[in-house]
Amino acid sequence: MTDTSSLGANAPTDTTVAENADRPQTTDRHEDTPDSWTDYAFEGEPKLSVDGLDVHYGSDQALDDISIEIPEQSVTALIGPSGCGKSTFLRCLNRMNDRIRAAEVDGTVTFEGQDIYQDGLDLVELRKRVGMVFQAPNPFPKSIRDNIAYGPRKHGTVQTDLLAKLTGRDDSDQEDEIVERSLRQAAIWEEVNDRLDDNALGLSGGQQQRLCIARCLAVDPEVILMDEPASALDPIATAKIEDLIEELAEEYTVVIVTHNMQQAARISDQTAVFLTGGRLVEYGETDQVFENPKSQRVEDYITGKFG
Amino acid sequence: MSYTAESELVVDNTSTAERLASAVVGLGLVTFVFSLVGVTQVVTAETTILGISLYDFLAGGLLLMGVGTVSLGIGSRTGVFNTSPDATPGAVTAALFGLGAFALAGLVASQSLGLGTVGWLLGATLVGGVTFAGVALAPEDIGSTLPPGVAAIGVAVAILAGIITPAFAWEPEGFSATLTGSMAIPLLLAASTLVTMWGGAKAYEGYGSKGRQTAAYLLVGINAVSIIAVLVALLLFIASKGIGPAFEGFSLVPFEWPFVTNGYSFRPEVVNGVFPAIMGTIWLVIGAVITGVPVAVAAAIFLTEYAEQGRFVGAVEIATNGLWSTPSVVYGLFGYAFLIPRLGGTTSLISGMLVLGFMLMPLCLITSREAIKAVPDEYRDASAALGVSRWETIRSVVLPAAMPGILTGVILGVGRIAGETAPILLVMAGGLRDDAPNVLGSFEFISSPPFVANDALLESAPALPYQLYATITAGVSAENAAAFGWATAFVLLVVVLSFYALGIASRLYFRRRLNA
Repeated sequence: MTDTSSLGANAPTDTTVAENADRPQTTDRHEDTPDSWTDYAFEGEPKLSVDGLDVHYGSDQALDDISIEIPEQSVTALIGPSGCGKSTFLRCLNRMNDRIRAAEVDGTVTFEGQDIYQDGLDLVELRKRVGMVFQAPNPFPKSIRDNIAYGPRKHGTVQTDLLAKLTGRDDSDQEDEIVERSLRQAAIWEEVNDRLDDNALGLSGGQQQRLCIARCLAVDPEVILMDEPASALDPIATAKIEDLIEELAEEYTVVIVTHNMQQAARISDQTAVFLTGGRLVEYGETDQVFENPKSQRVEDYITGKFG
Repeated sequence: MSYTAESELVVDNTSTAERLASAVVGLGLVTFVFSLVGVTQVVTAETTILGISLYDFLAGGLLLMGVGTVSLGIGSRTGVFNTSPDATPGAVTAALFGLGAFALAGLVASQSLGLGTVGWLLGATLVGGVTFAGVALAPEDIGSTLPPGVAAIGVAVAILAGIITPAFAWEPEGFSATLTGSMAIPLLLAASTLVTMWGGAKAYEGYGSKGRQTAAYLLVGINAVSIIAVLVALLLFIASKGIGPAFEGFSLVPFEWPFVTNGYSFRPEVVNGVFPAIMGTIWLVIGAVITGVPVAVAAAIFLTEYAEQGRFVGAVEIATNGLWSTPSVVYGLFGYAFLIPRLGGTTSLISGMLVLGFMLMPLCLITSREAIKAVPDEYRDASAALGVSRWETIRSVVLPAAMPGILTGVILGVGRIAGETAPILLVMAGGLRDDAPNVLGSFEFISSPPFVANDALLESAPALPYQLYATITAGVSAENAAAFGWATAFVLLVVVLSFYALGIASRLYFRRRLNA
């Protein structure tokens, strides 16, 4: 089902973006912040790689020269105090920032080697492959089945409308498979399989959030971006989501923003710490970042001395 | 009593003051309702209970209320009742009571005492001023009970003593309206009761902020109920006048309802009916909805989902609001001068549909925009994050979620246009007819463009509101024009309410689909 076609219509091999030309050349930007360790070496090709990413909302700088490489099939946690730009960074990875008119993005973000900010990029294809789960559960006011099948139907993966039925191209069986598989992957199948036609708004908050994860999985993404997916949930629902995230990492690349440092320590393979001003201060293996941070400021933050 | 800052956390709930105050308010509610019924002249001074005129009964009730309210005030001041009033009832209360006293004193001085302009003006100003000053300076318990109580006693005595009788008639000079006693008495009763109840409600809670809260709650509550009362009165009035003639010759088995199923035949032996006008109105609404709603919803989508908030959107908003407040006769004139010459040269059903469709557009646009704006952005985000295009998102998520709101606009709009008379008069109506517009049966396929012809759309057609206007006021000759008119009004009301019911039912359907 995965479409492995190129994201861009005519993707150039050189991924430098023209916009970079306008960016002031401040290669020595980090001289004033020597307390920054972001070189994290891992084996294999990065799934996502970000180079020199700046984001401005009008005159406010939300992200300042972020460079990071995210390995595949792992959980990457983004932590940091409120307003440090974690969510902005996450939203750059599937270009959800395009929906905010004031946001200005400079720098390169490459997904599997292709610049996602190049002209001619197919946003539909990008967001199919880089899915997103939001902070507050946001199921559509539709039935559980319609929620899950929404993406596949809209992308033409399955055709179950009246015309398809009349012309004998009914994919209802395939749709049922997708619905069941997605709900099982999101560990919610057992709870809802007898009421797939009930409205999704009747589910509890934790169930709704797992439903949203299932909805995201139904379009068969490769990367799942999660923006504090458990912050609106109670501890039991949170635990379920955390278990789910760890399972998902066996197949998918998960990038998760969280306020909860214990959560990051529990579930992530590598952790990136953002601090005030939209700067990435430290990035490395989770154990190392939490137990032996190289940056004094990160240590202060993790031990609760600030932030 | 104690109007100093001394107040208690727990107040004894069954004090004498509370019982007295509840009695005042309860009596007030009954008196108020009957006074309102009296205003509609359903009951009059001739209505008697146990041989006593109803108005005397009501005045007696008001007298008791007045005495009760005065006792509540004095009781609180002298410490008989445990209350916690503020230092003053407030400038607004004082001003309103002053105005009321000014009006009452002016009426008494000019009408009962027969004083000249200077005399009544002086007297009224004096009484009003003294009341204002007195209320402003008095503590809250006295200031908010004595004036309404005393006024209530005065009004009640005036009615009981026969100073104001149903025969009383007031014709202000230079003013061609006459206020008869049969109207003045219930109006006075109602107003006086309302103010006295306000005082009673304050006393019930022992004054202070709690008292003001309860009193205000009582007043706004009565307003809400009054609105329903007006609606019910209107419906009952129309029904009582219209049901008789509308059901002339009605029989269930075999089903016959000549007023609804007949046309206007001008034959004396047949019951004349409004079937053509009913069909005309229904087709008119269908046509207007088909013309107006899709355009309005599409424009609302563009303005809300695509266009950036700026000059263009601002201009469209101003234009929409302007169109919405444009008088309907202006729409009619536009149709008369612009559409009719281009659509066959005569008044026609299709011109009416188009004009009413234009009238429907602005309201539907405004309500649809609000409904679409109210759809949470989370839905749009969720859809965008799944890689679904903006248009698909609008079609599958935003519009279904906005549907109840959009339908509300359509319901309101249809309610407006279904009863519209002025544009119909100019662009659509012919005379009274025997045959209904046969829109469905008139579709013809022809071999040359536009391939479909429909003569019924190009002919003039009757509609209920216009027919009502024609029979009642414009002197279109009809036997028993008044009865025919009332029956038509009744049917029009039923037809419009049926459209409402249809709209509300579909809104409920969509709302239920959205909610678990």
